[in-house]
Amino acid sequence: MPESFRLRASNYSLLTLRLLTGRIEEVLPALGDQFQKAPGFLRFAPIAIGLDELGDDRVDFPALIQGLRALEILPIGVTGGTQMQRAAAAGAGLPTLRPAGQKETEVQAPAPVAAPPVAMNPPPAAPAPTPAPLAAAARTLVVEQNIRAGQRVHAQGADLVVIGTVNAGAEVIADGNVHIYGALRGRAVAGAGDDGEARIFAQIFDPELVAIAGFYAVRDGLSGTPIGRGAIVRLEGEQLRFSPIG
Amino acid sequence: MAQVIVVTSGKGGVGKTTSSAAFATGLAQRGKKTVVIDFDVGLRNLDLIMGVERRVVFDIVNVIQGEAKLNQALIRDKRVDGLSILPASQTRDKDALTREGVQGIIEELSKEFDYILCDSPAGIEKGALLALYFADAAVVVTNPEVSSVRDSDRILGVLQSKSKRAEEGKEPVKQHLLLTRYDPARVERGEMLKLDDVLEILAIPLLGVIPESESVLKASNSGNPVILDSDSPAGQAYADAVARFLGEEKPHRFIEAEKKKGFFGRLFGGRAA
Repeated sequence: MPESFRLRASNYSLLTLRLLTGRIEEVLPALGDQFQKAPGFLRFAPIAIGLDELGDDRVDFPALIQGLRALEILPIGVTGGTQMQRAAAAGAGLPTLRPAGQKETEVQAPAPVAAPPVAMNPPPAAPAPTPAPLAAAARTLVVEQNIRAGQRVHAQGADLVVIGTVNAGAEVIADGNVHIYGALRGRAVAGAGDDGEARIFAQIFDPELVAIAGFYAVRDGLSGTPIGRGAIVRLEGEQLRFSPIG
Repeated sequence: MAQVIVVTSGKGGVGKTTSSAAFATGLAQRGKKTVVIDFDVGLRNLDLIMGVERRVVFDIVNVIQGEAKLNQALIRDKRVDGLSILPASQTRDKDALTREGVQGIIEELSKEFDYILCDSPAGIEKGALLALYFADAAVVVTNPEVSSVRDSDRILGVLQSKSKRAEEGKEPVKQHLLLTRYDPARVERGEMLKLDDVLEILAIPLLGVIPESESVLKASNSGNPVILDSDSPAGQAYADAVARFLGEEKPHRFIEAEKKKGFFGRLFGGRAA
């Protein structure tokens, strides 16, 4: 039987949203205000919910998840908190995350959480396939303009659809698939969160570089691919495969 | 309110200053009160192209630093009514420019002029960013050559994100392409990018194509904006571009290679100048 998956442990930098109160009706508007000032900030960013500062407060996790998603923030788990809180979170689909460097046995006790470094960019893609976050499938970032030299669009935890051209010197990145309805003349990176199932679709395929889950090809290596035509790029094992569309 | 136009390109040496001088002169020729500002502090050239280098007393940095009044620094053109030049400083660098200072100058000029042209330095650093910050419209000067097109693409992205209009979420800066140094014969031989290729990549409206012409260098060296040479193809092309900018319909010229000259043409005809 050919190998169908591999399990690897990986460390990720995650943003933690530390709740200072269990009253989410106060948390969500305050977050919304802040995000209105910086539109696009953290868009589709996966985030951990820190429960250490809560004491025994109860949290309405389903409502919190719904509210965060409405703000285009994707909660993926909780850290710290009491057993009760963690159980409530697990009931709402948020598993308990272990901060890196801690032993498993210590997870039982509410542990102090070191604030992880803020990472807006994905960690350098290493060839260690891990399952993509489930939320990714449901999310798509649509850009309806040409992407010009020097511009960079990153769809975190999402697919990216570009209706327009990605010019030479521009870069589009998605944790999911990349679709370009126009010409791809710059760089396209799909599966930036190490999702080897991600693909790149381009109506006119003429790229500087394409990469999926850390495996890349530069233009010099693209002879024999459907240059100038519609193309799909996918990953087979450790090889990028190129096929024409239509 | 005056309209602020930035003439920009990203890349150097493509014809920004030549185009700024020609464009400003053309607007003034059509009765628009126009001032052209040299933002290339430290490498001032506009005064040379405009032929006013011997009349420079104060410059934009003097005005920003309160050492001179704006009116003392403005040089009135002697050939065309309603045209003024605000020169750059030769001895300072671009750090002498401040956003507040530039804003003050543009606000004051707005009271007197219809059009304020900002001749941007090359690059995407402070001088170029300040030149485009207050723009309502941009004339992006591009040569039919890959690196120039790439840099123009970059500057279009900067206009989209770093101009005042972009920061305030207003209607975006109106973008125009001015393709300069176009040589249809070399395009036919495949040595230069085709107009259509450039348009496809940059995807902004075409204001004009300025043919490569010996008259441009001659004009620059003599300090007469080439648009004043109404016999030269480049001068005519700039005049067309100004007309289009003001909303007139003009067919594009100088895009096709001229027909091969006949025997007598070859024998007696000089070069197109």
